[in-house]
Amino acid sequence: MSAEQSKSVGSAISIKGVVKEFTRGGQTLRVLNSLDLEVPEGSFEALMGPSGSGKSTLLNLIAGLDKPTSGEITVAGARLDRMSDAEITSWRAANVGIVFQSYNLLPVLTALENVELPLLLHKMTSAERKKRAQIALEIVGLSDRMGHYPRMLSGGQEQRVAIARAIVNDPKVIIGDEPTGDLDRNSADEILKLFEQLNRELGKTIIMVTHDPEAAERATVIRRLNKGVLA
Amino acid sequence: MIPYQYNLRSIWVRRVTAIITVLGVALVTAVLAAALMLAAGVKKSVSVGGQDDVAIIMRAGATGELESGVDESAVGLVLSQPGLAQENGKPIGGGELLVVVALDKLGAMGFSNVNMRGYSDQSLKLRPNLKVVEGALPKPGTDEAMVGRGILGRFKGLTLGDQISVRKNRPLRIVGVFEDGGSGAESEIWADVNTVRAAFGRQGGVSVVRARLASAGGIEAFRAVIEADKRLGLKVKSEPDFLAAQSEGLSKFLTIMGFIVSLFFSLGAIIGATITMHAAVAHRTREIGTLRALGFSRSAILLGFLMEALVMTITGGAIGLLAALALSTTKISMMNPATWSELVFALAPSPQAFITAGIFSVGMGLLGGFLPAVRASRISPLAALRS
Amino acid sequence: MNLPGLAVRNIYRNPVRLALTVAGVAVALLTFVTLRTAVMSWDEAKNYTLKDRLVTRHKITFVMDLPKNYADDVRDLKGADGKPLIRASTFLNWFGGKDPAHENDFFATIAADHNTFLTVYDEIKIPDDQLKAFNETRNGAVVGDLLATKFNWKVGDNITLESPIYGLRENGEPWTFKIVGLYSTTSKAVDRQTFYFRWDYMNDGVRAEAKDRVGWIASRSVDAAHAAEVTAAIDKRFDDADTQTLTQDEASFFQGFMGMVSSVLAIMSYLSYIILAILGLILANAISMSVRERTNEYASMKAIGFHAKTLASLILTESTLIALAGAIPGVILSYLIVDVALGDFLEYNLANFFPVFRVKIWTYAEAVAAATVIGLFAGIVPALTVARLNVVENLRRVA
Repeated sequence: MSAEQSKSVGSAISIKGVVKEFTRGGQTLRVLNSLDLEVPEGSFEALMGPSGSGKSTLLNLIAGLDKPTSGEITVAGARLDRMSDAEITSWRAANVGIVFQSYNLLPVLTALENVELPLLLHKMTSAERKKRAQIALEIVGLSDRMGHYPRMLSGGQEQRVAIARAIVNDPKVIIGDEPTGDLDRNSADEILKLFEQLNRELGKTIIMVTHDPEAAERATVIRRLNKGVLA
Repeated sequence: MIPYQYNLRSIWVRRVTAIITVLGVALVTAVLAAALMLAAGVKKSVSVGGQDDVAIIMRAGATGELESGVDESAVGLVLSQPGLAQENGKPIGGGELLVVVALDKLGAMGFSNVNMRGYSDQSLKLRPNLKVVEGALPKPGTDEAMVGRGILGRFKGLTLGDQISVRKNRPLRIVGVFEDGGSGAESEIWADVNTVRAAFGRQGGVSVVRARLASAGGIEAFRAVIEADKRLGLKVKSEPDFLAAQSEGLSKFLTIMGFIVSLFFSLGAIIGATITMHAAVAHRTREIGTLRALGFSRSAILLGFLMEALVMTITGGAIGLLAALALSTTKISMMNPATWSELVFALAPSPQAFITAGIFSVGMGLLGGFLPAVRASRISPLAALRS
Repeated sequence: MNLPGLAVRNIYRNPVRLALTVAGVAVALLTFVTLRTAVMSWDEAKNYTLKDRLVTRHKITFVMDLPKNYADDVRDLKGADGKPLIRASTFLNWFGGKDPAHENDFFATIAADHNTFLTVYDEIKIPDDQLKAFNETRNGAVVGDLLATKFNWKVGDNITLESPIYGLRENGEPWTFKIVGLYSTTSKAVDRQTFYFRWDYMNDGVRAEAKDRVGWIASRSVDAAHAAEVTAAIDKRFDDADTQTLTQDEASFFQGFMGMVSSVLAIMSYLSYIILAILGLILANAISMSVRERTNEYASMKAIGFHAKTLASLILTESTLIALAGAIPGVILSYLIVDVALGDFLEYNLANFFPVFRVKIWTYAEAVAAATVIGLFAGIVPALTVARLNVVENLRRVA
């Protein structure tokens, strides 16, 4: 997929002149410095950079978990910098799926129920919820583990449940925060294969932060962030 | 031993739960201490001013002055017995008539009973602490009365210059207010014994005879003489013994109530402490494992966590005691079943209240902290290695 | 799976804490119910009193008595229209008797006019043959069935009582009674532990100056609706006499007694609020601890798209459910301990203080409602904390 083609498709993520500052102990720290970024729809991108480069901050801004100090952020057609917290929360429920490094599954819920969780935010019958959660688990290859609790699953399996949870709403954008950071090589490969599959077959736009060069290699675009500026 | 800072800091880290636990213990301790101080207050106010050398002569079967009756003829007989202190060749002592009047309570619903004592000039000699603080002493043989400081203003008519009615067209005028060193008399209305007799149709006698003995040790001999005469049907008690019996029922009731209620309340506080300590232990499994791996013994861990619980409950206990002390200025009015009348008293801080409440708060800490501490002491050093 | 379901599962997560919290709530509610019942049962006793039963006594004090002819005057009282105001009346005296064999056990001993007393206290039931014996035996006594059981008294027993009020009989002999009957009652207004004996027997034995004096007069007005007017009419009847009277209907009389114990009742009420405060502390402690341990879970739920409101209600649901989980065993425990065990014990042994000691349905409802509301309040601070949770910081904390 060439850059030309994707531009004609449109941008999934569009960031213009974003500045993000933190104030800690009376000192203002500028983490992102007038950053611009365009991620075309259907792109699979890896975001790399040393610790403190601002990549997690950028990811949080894209996910609507945090707000920029200034600048414009448009994700899946919505101007996040102009929305209220409540609006962003609702928007997030429908438009992005997040995959965390440490999976963050609820230990009291089974795999199926964890996947069902985001569907509670939408008007849906419980049968419909269940059906959609089953499909999502089938996609990640865990149809035989639906009734298992997180503690009964391996790390790779837990992360696949988390991915199923991220896609069950059919979001346009999937955000991964070090999704393979806690996994061994084999499990990490399976997760990355799954990301490729979601990108290729379902056309999801994926952006993930990673430290792992091998993981980054699987993405179609690798971006490097250093001291708040994209290289 | 684990350095105590370790456990103290852990309390600070979990300060919200720690404060909640401390508050629970404080409430329980305050309730217990207040109940015991209430009981002590009853005892104190009833028995204050009891003199060893004052004898009370009353009907054999009576438990209180109200029930007792002594015939006029017997009064002279009693006072003529040997062993009594003399003044100008006459024994110091005389009859007193105790009755109750129903008066409307001010600031509360309904009426309540108030003791009225018919007294003579002899009665005043037997109460050296009694003094009129406002107004004047009632003139003998008149319808004048004085009221104890404790009930002043608590009932309708009981203010200086006001009057209460005891019989048709013969109101008693309140001309004085007296104090008696905080004794039970401060919850009474005093009027001339003949006035009270006339008003209550009790011309035939008095309730009890009070008399001063030549010496405090003479009571046994005096009792032997009086009680030997079965026709009189009288008994002799020293004033302190008599007063102690007057407060026994109410103070026992308050003490027992206090204990029962505090026991139930403390279950709540103990459970609160257990919840807190249980979480403290569960959260620090790895730390405790590390301490064990470093070589601290099981008993050191057990003690450390018990200390942690104790610090919280003893702090709570101290706060509770302070709260109870803050209550000690409030006056409480309660019916004393021994006299059928209102007794006004204040909570009295007593060493027993402090010691008992202290023991209670330590007990709550030990009971609440024990199981979690045992759990902590059983954590294996291997726990340090697990995540 | 749904959100309340998730709240339920969160509750079961820490079984030890759940068990402790439930036990704490249950014990606190048991204490609450006991205290409330003690307060209410005194209030409750008032409900058994009769509006049309009037008690006339000396205006100044209960220790002074009335001339016996007052009883006749009350009985014969007529209204302005010439119709009788009173349909039944009797007179009684407090004897203050004590059984030397049971020195420390208090029981009421009352001399009652045997001809009229059951017409006024028609809740008292005596078998016909025993009533006949009472009418025929001058020193006869009828005793409450509970009192008889307590002291192991039987019909036919001779009992000697001492009275510090009246001393010995005029002739120097002791007061000896023959138990001719046992009574039961159809209402809790009359206790079952009183020793009633014939007024004429007492009048025979007292000294001259105490003869033909009655402690109080009890009567029933013809029309309960106009009891207040009858009350006033009785007192007005004696207004000009040397001894004036104070007449109250039974309910007001009881209220006057309540005035004397009001401070005890007030203290018990305060205590019942303190135990609710302790209950609140237990719940607040448990819920805030649980929520804090799950901070990162709430953060990730927020990241998924759950609103602050939803999470707050999740926590409030959980804290309310825990309170309810404790309230149910608390109510069962209260029923068994207070209503069944303690109630029987007190009604039997302390009937003078607690003629009825039963938990009212209302008190259970109050306990459950209090626990629920307190549970809700206990969850407010943790719920606000989670609602304000900064997702970014708390997700980081996990990793």
